[in-house]
Amino acid sequence: MSWEEFKPESFKSAETYTLKHLDAVMLHFFEDCVNCGLCEVNCPYTAAGEEYGPVEKAEPLRRIYRPHAQILPKLFPWLFGANSPKSKEELDKWVEKAYRCTNCGLCYVTCPFGIHSGEMIKVLRSYLARTGRIPTLLKMMIDTEASNTLLENEGLRKVWEGMIDRIKAEGVEFNKKNTKYLYLTSLAEVMMTPGSVLGAVKFFKKLNLDWTMPDKPLSMRAPIGSLAGDDEATTIVARRIHEYIKEINPEYVVLSDGGYPYTFFRFDLPRIVGEKPSYKVIHIVELVGEALREGRLKFKNAEEKVTWHSPCKMGRIGGLIDEPVEVLSKVSSNLVKLKSHGVFSKCCGGGGSIACIVPPTQQVMEKVMGVSIPITGSEKVFLDKLYRDMLVAGKAKVDEIRESGASTVVTACIGCFHTMGMTTQAFGVNVKLKMLSEFLAENLE
Amino acid sequence: MDLLDFAIYVAPPLVVAIFLFGVGYRIGRYIFFWRRKPSALRRQRPLLKLFIGLIKTFLDPLIQGFKYRKGDFLGGLVALHILGVIPLIFLLGQHVAMFSYWIPFYLALRPLAIPSSITSSSLTALANVVPSSDMSWTFVNTVWGPLTVILNGDLLAILAIIGVSYKIGDKIVRLVHKLGNARIGDWYALVLLLAILVSGFMATHHLPSGETGTYRTVLGIHILLAELLVATLPFTKFWHFVFGYWYGKLHEWYDLKYNRGAL
Repeated sequence: MSWEEFKPESFKSAETYTLKHLDAVMLHFFEDCVNCGLCEVNCPYTAAGEEYGPVEKAEPLRRIYRPHAQILPKLFPWLFGANSPKSKEELDKWVEKAYRCTNCGLCYVTCPFGIHSGEMIKVLRSYLARTGRIPTLLKMMIDTEASNTLLENEGLRKVWEGMIDRIKAEGVEFNKKNTKYLYLTSLAEVMMTPGSVLGAVKFFKKLNLDWTMPDKPLSMRAPIGSLAGDDEATTIVARRIHEYIKEINPEYVVLSDGGYPYTFFRFDLPRIVGEKPSYKVIHIVELVGEALREGRLKFKNAEEKVTWHSPCKMGRIGGLIDEPVEVLSKVSSNLVKLKSHGVFSKCCGGGGSIACIVPPTQQVMEKVMGVSIPITGSEKVFLDKLYRDMLVAGKAKVDEIRESGASTVVTACIGCFHTMGMTTQAFGVNVKLKMLSEFLAENLE
Repeated sequence: MDLLDFAIYVAPPLVVAIFLFGVGYRIGRYIFFWRRKPSALRRQRPLLKLFIGLIKTFLDPLIQGFKYRKGDFLGGLVALHILGVIPLIFLLGQHVAMFSYWIPFYLALRPLAIPSSITSSSLTALANVVPSSDMSWTFVNTVWGPLTVILNGDLLAILAIIGVSYKIGDKIVRLVHKLGNARIGDWYALVLLLAILVSGFMATHHLPSGETGTYRTVLGIHILLAELLVATLPFTKFWHFVFGYWYGKLHEWYDLKYNRGAL
């Protein structure tokens, strides 16, 4: 199916699919909204248009659910807003809304009723994917990842093997079973923020840990299908990774990417693979924090003024809000917190796959992969507007960075890193962006 | 039998039955839709921090509203909820008397009863006038004392009417802006609430005339509309007061703070 098509016959199976997500919690998200609109105040995309407020973006999913889950909307769909898209334009509008959400969770903590609109929008994306509306680049990544053929592309293979060669030089034993720590990186991390991977490796060596890592990428990042609501692809990849981890049998799985992979592996994986893991998932900042407390690590004092951008998935949704700040405060006596630091930390604007499908990223991917990504006219219009809106959505974070006066912004999510690269440049804020493990490794004593 | 007799002597059992059925239906759905799934290891956090986190979970939306949406905070939260419907429903003297009739232990709240008129404050604080009977006295001589200048039915009803009108205005603006989030349920809830408030205010003041039949009709309408609200509460957005708010914030706390440690 292509972006240009409008196939009502696909709606039925798409509806059936989204209904699988209607559990008790989703029922609460769906039914208990009183439409007060408070979620709009913190959503990064409301700045790009009032039609992008969370309650507005979740409305299409409510329209899908109503006739199935409620009596009156089933009887009077026209009165209660219960319908599938009636035209291509309406479907396009739904897609536009669904891809103006980073699933950052700000609406969740802002809502007086604890409704996570982002989770609803994620399910809406899965509906849209089944009606043929899934961004081409995202679809390519999902398919390649699910079929485990990432390295069949020469460009991607070069990127990965280049990193593996550098790590080999550090004397790492790959895929070593029964180690205490398994370091899980991804192709995206190697490609976008190689310093993050090398920084993590430096820590494992410095702390003299019993560790290993895979010599092949297990995924593009975390199962990327989870961003588009593709449960089948997500489950395939998640199971594959889970089986690999079980085979290695580590005590800890360590991540340096604090974006959605952290939340995915730390909190979502048991639900997806259907079993409690025998291993603990931690972020490298937890490892570093522990080593600092035990006096096994020392840092030089970084001179520059540093600030910490808390990735939504690591902080608000992942629970590591103050840990990175505590660690960074040991590195820089010139650390300044951003104004919104904490549970309400502002979103960079590029999460939920947005930064990885906008035109500048497409161009990078085309260059790396040596292929031309086939985008139709409608999709190009959609992506161009998405990019403009992403810059608007990211402005609040850029303003905070500017206000902080920091010369270096440290983060731990490759999506945030990539997004802030685009947004700071767009708004003329000249800062150095560093991944956490990279920045810490640079300042190791 | 007029409207008032019907509202007082016929409708209540039916209203309670529909309400209880609705509560059972709504809660039952949550139980029916519940799925057991393997969950991740929770992040350990100190109990005290978790408790503070629980308080903050409930307070945070209020703070965010105050910071970023002052109109909504004043109109929707303060005028409509905090000073309007909540004290009016549960503490207005007439309502305390009515609830006490149905639920005897509600009488315990009698000292907190709010009088219907601002002149009650002069009765309690400024003038040495004793009400003509003990019954009215108990609903006038409250702990609020001079505070009845604010805490009286007239003022609170007006604030609630302003609050609900603000919300209706907000919905109209959203419609004009062609936004989808002005639902039929919003109109039902807001217009019904406005009708209850206005008819209650009118009944208290014997409007539109002091004639007994008219008074009984207006009061009957007020009580019937309130009964309609109670009966349909489980099926409308009023459900947020009984369940949605409490469950939602507790779930959020459990998910983000208790399980994930986002404190």
